[in-house]
Amino acid sequence: MSDVPSPVAAASLPAAECRPGWPGRAGAAATLGIVAILPLVLRDSYGRGLLIAGALNVIQALGLDLILGFAGQLDLGAAAFYGIGAYVSTLLVMLAGVGFWPALALGTLAAGVMGGVLALLTVRLRGHYLAIASLGFAVITYQVLLNWISLTQGPLGLYGITPPAGFTDPVRLFYLIAACAVLVFAALRALLASPVGATLAALREDEISAASLGIDCRRWKAFAFAVGSAVAGLAGGLYPGFAGTLVPDAFAPADSFGVLAMVIVGGIGTLRGPVLGAVVLTLAPELLRGIGDARMIVYGLALTLVVLFMPGGLDGAWRMAAARLRRNQAG
Amino acid sequence: MRQIVCACGLLLTFLHTPALADGAARVVRIGALLPISGAGAYFGVQDREGIDLALDQLAKSPPGGARFDVHIEDSACSPLPATQAARRLLDGYRPDIIIGEECSDATLAVMPLVLQAGVPLLNAGSSALRITDPGNRETFRILPDEVMQGEDLANHAYRDLGARNAVLLHENTNAGIGNAAIFARRFAALGGKVVQTIGFGRDVNDFTAIATRIAALGPIDVIPTYTLEGQGLKITEALAQAGVVRGGGGHAVQLGTIWLPLGFDQQAGKAAEGYVRIVQFEPRDPRPVVQDFVAAFQAKFGHQPTHISAHAYDQIMLIADAVRRGAATPAAIRDRLAATRGFSGVTGSVVFDEHNQNVSRDTIHYVETEADGSFKPLDWK
Repeated sequence: MSDVPSPVAAASLPAAECRPGWPGRAGAAATLGIVAILPLVLRDSYGRGLLIAGALNVIQALGLDLILGFAGQLDLGAAAFYGIGAYVSTLLVMLAGVGFWPALALGTLAAGVMGGVLALLTVRLRGHYLAIASLGFAVITYQVLLNWISLTQGPLGLYGITPPAGFTDPVRLFYLIAACAVLVFAALRALLASPVGATLAALREDEISAASLGIDCRRWKAFAFAVGSAVAGLAGGLYPGFAGTLVPDAFAPADSFGVLAMVIVGGIGTLRGPVLGAVVLTLAPELLRGIGDARMIVYGLALTLVVLFMPGGLDGAWRMAAARLRRNQAG
Repeated sequence: MRQIVCACGLLLTFLHTPALADGAARVVRIGALLPISGAGAYFGVQDREGIDLALDQLAKSPPGGARFDVHIEDSACSPLPATQAARRLLDGYRPDIIIGEECSDATLAVMPLVLQAGVPLLNAGSSALRITDPGNRETFRILPDEVMQGEDLANHAYRDLGARNAVLLHENTNAGIGNAAIFARRFAALGGKVVQTIGFGRDVNDFTAIATRIAALGPIDVIPTYTLEGQGLKITEALAQAGVVRGGGGHAVQLGTIWLPLGFDQQAGKAAEGYVRIVQFEPRDPRPVVQDFVAAFQAKFGHQPTHISAHAYDQIMLIADAVRRGAATPAAIRDRLAATRGFSGVTGSVVFDEHNQNVSRDTIHYVETEADGSFKPLDWK
């Protein structure tokens, strides 16, 4: 098997994301501008807290989308890698006296290694079977966090966790996390625009055909899992400084479905989609607080309707609407 | 004509602005962090009833002429939602005081935020020791902490029930582990033996395996159980089916603290026979304040209040008491709360120590479940 990614015809990124024209570039610049301005406009700690939570969710969703949307591996263990990143980095800081930045890097690495190992162990599994294996991994991780009390404090939790030095101000903390999200986005975009993206697309579309083209499916699966899990671990490492506390319930297996919903609602297999999904699904439950007790019913209903009537997610719907508009203008 | 319309408009504006119509009554803004969703949602429902009743009564005879307004946010019994809900309250509603949360993890997560904001937090449902030991300047608790409850329960188990061995069951949470550990320590110090301690997650739905395991341990005297109502019911039923507890023809007596509301006995039925537990509210308490509360609650909602409703009612009334004593700002409310003396609520009296922990022992009442699902008070002092 060759170490070099095979040139596969299937495009891994939608053309608009691969080679954005001036509207795409203008849109990206406008998005960055909005991100820069938002914490200055939202001056209260609640609004800023929402921004930080949204940025963390964007990173998580991007990581899962690499595994699920681009490599086609149904991963239901996102919460586990998020938790590994959070606990490894925090325990390194609190128990070993490691600085925040090396601890963050090691937490990210630990999540990536665990993701890679999980992928290697489950290399023969696909579809539902892989989903169950990854969910099982999330359950195991949760139980370890819960029951290894001498190390993690289990359900007693870790309290008094502070943001990294220089980022105690919520605006700065948001910029830090948003910068990480932008870097992850850019790195994944570069990765997916390279032959690696085409290789992963081949793997996603048909493993047997990909293998016949000389692609080492085992290795590329592990690669996608490791990178996606590392991205989730990075988000996890940034989370405790924001929340101030760390309890295993923050990484319950069911939370993986929340990240999955962000990817699917936003638009699976695109880079814009998970960003959109994470932002919408972070904000929606909060915006619906005004309607009181019915908010979670309305939220659930909205999710169902999006999945039913927007098969390509919000990003897909946006593309369709834009295409229709262009046709109408041309006609 | 235009002048008449303007005058009518001004009049309508005046009439529809309560603060002006009431002679600019001061509004005491109370934020409430309650679990409205998730496993602890039943807390929120019952809390709300107690709050509504208290507000009705305060509207009829406002202390110091103040009007009380409560704004509830769903804090979901969980740290991150609770901190977000607290931020929303502090930024948007700007409360004079916050009541809640029910779950210890959530309360502990919120405490640094209220400290930073300088807004007092009055808690009535979280038992973790750390909330008031060391606690912080802004956080008050009227609930007996886990040491007060756990040690008292161990003393009575050993002396009044003659228990010499125990199996401890607890959910794997801050409060569950803490409560079990304190009981175990005190029980062992008295000479009792803890045969086994079994922890479980909140996602466990079938307790048959745990009950069978306990049945295999031989005769057990007491089974202190620390869990929320849903799992508590399943545990009691499983222990009865396995023939471990009195409700199933066995020997063991289940023990509990204030986690289970009144009404648990009726739901568990015969399985709960002999269950001895601490309740924070005894509706048959002859004190007029209790009987008036029970009658008013029954009239408004058509059913008996639980200890959760009673706690919420007491929280609002304790704040009203501080306002009556001249508190007008968050800092003043905090100071008046700390100086509380002689307040007699429906769950008991309130005297805070230097850590803002209520140290009144009359908040601990014991009841025993009868075979028909009713319960009788135990005269344990």
